[in-house]
Amino acid sequence: MTEAWVLGQRALREGWRTPEALLPTLFIPLFFLVVNVGQAAKIFPGDTTGFLHGQGYGAFQLPSSLLLAASFGTAALFLVEDIEGGYFDKLRASPVPRTAIVLGRLIAELVKGVLIAAALIVLGVIFGISIASGPLGFVLLVALTALWSAVFVGFMQLIALKTRSAAATNSAGLIFFPLLFLTPNFVPRDLLTRPMEIAATLNPVTYVMEALRSLILEDLDWGAILPGFAVVAVLGALMLALNVRMIRNYD
Amino acid sequence: MSVGGADEFRRPTPSTNQTRIEGALHVNDATEVADEPPIYGTAGAAAVRAEGLVKHYESRSGVIEAVRGVDLAVESGEIFGFLGPNGAGKSTTVKMLTTLLSITTGSATVAGIDVGREPDEVRRRIGVALQEAGLDPRQTGRELLVLQGRLFGISPADSAVRAQELLALVELEGAADRRIKDYSGGMKRRLDLASALVHQPEVLFLDEPTTGLDPASRLTVWEEVQRINERGTTVFLTTQYLEEADQLCDRLAIIDNGRIVREGTPARLKAELRERRGLETEPTLDDVFLDATGRTRDRSAGDVQEVLA
Repeated sequence: MTEAWVLGQRALREGWRTPEALLPTLFIPLFFLVVNVGQAAKIFPGDTTGFLHGQGYGAFQLPSSLLLAASFGTAALFLVEDIEGGYFDKLRASPVPRTAIVLGRLIAELVKGVLIAAALIVLGVIFGISIASGPLGFVLLVALTALWSAVFVGFMQLIALKTRSAAATNSAGLIFFPLLFLTPNFVPRDLLTRPMEIAATLNPVTYVMEALRSLILEDLDWGAILPGFAVVAVLGALMLALNVRMIRNYD
Repeated sequence: MSVGGADEFRRPTPSTNQTRIEGALHVNDATEVADEPPIYGTAGAAAVRAEGLVKHYESRSGVIEAVRGVDLAVESGEIFGFLGPNGAGKSTTVKMLTTLLSITTGSATVAGIDVGREPDEVRRRIGVALQEAGLDPRQTGRELLVLQGRLFGISPADSAVRAQELLALVELEGAADRRIKDYSGGMKRRLDLASALVHQPEVLFLDEPTTGLDPASRLTVWEEVQRINERGTTVFLTTQYLEEADQLCDRLAIIDNGRIVREGTPARLKAELRERRGLETEPTLDDVFLDATGRTRDRSAGDVQEVLA
């Protein structure tokens, strides 16, 4: 665990020293939040739209922006740089547990995820969104977003390790958009057309989004929250196992 | 050094940076006297042994045989040179010996440990500086060395002390707190070398450590390699510079098309060629290399080119 933390600190330094890679993860989700609210807020007024629980449409859209912010996967691009520059081989030639090499970056991604989620939520609160589930809900909101960022970067790292190409890794990140749009992104699941509802039900991102949305719009509803945490736990374990296997078999 | 009387022969030619090198030696001596690390090494055993080492790659056009049965034995305390033309299998062999590539068939031990069966134990005993200096450009030189120490289980305080010692050894104290992306090519090479020494390895693998360096930086690296070796570390060095091999190496092997085609001391390889070809003058290591790899020199239009014989 010491090695994982040491490598995590190094990955955090790397992120801190490359603000140009970090800032878009804050500004682009904010941009989408503003645009989506601007386009649909009049269709769904807060006082007459039941699924908004008395809040504005921005509160309904905030989870999409949180998930977008957590799905940039820039850590995987830093990994490609390590591979191309030879530092990854340096790490592999040291007796560091392979798990620590993966965990180091995931830990850093978690920390970055916490900071970015907290910043976005605080900005949302400043502009009138309230967190109906209270302080515990705020913590869970931040934690779930950060855990999703670690899961997604785990996926991106698999692509990075397999292709060793920045272009391929960057392109693979675009898979998030179909995953995002196959969720109840603009309206709740029961208002989707039947084919979209089936697609959303099969899409694990839906449960993360619904958990986030529940934390913002309602009091603590564990029936909606726990499936979101279950998804990140299962996918997180899967990504960790696949990453470690990939590094062990890396030739 | 196992080759009698060769020390003088190997010493780099005095140059304009001699004063700087001697100055650095003096600084290092002072540093090391205070806390002289124990002499480390594989105590008489073969430091590196490979038997029938083979590496195949699958590609779209079929199977590529990068290494086709390499047998090697490097004695403890040697500087062993591993030469060959581009694509001959040098780096692939080094990567197999340093656990970075799987071995298709055959076996290898490094520091007496089986590479295939106990890769982590091998990793604890080796230092590696590969062809591309494996550095993180966003860290400072000091941060990189401290991190490397921590990865080898050295405490934070001891890692910091060790980093300072190594920065002095490779003459980078003045640039220790600068980001590596601002280092010159020679500084990066020296830092890479230092990072391979953090844990005082028994065997040091250097894959073309001076490629792309200016002559002064090359001499500095040579000095450092010799100094490291004198303290008991076995050095396995690949290079394309035959002068470098001649200056530094106790013994060397030449690999071509994935197979070892010559092995011995530089003096013995030259003597063998002279005798076999009946040459009147002493051949150079270049001649040995060209002879061993089936290449020759072709002089046309005023240019000298290497071509297959």
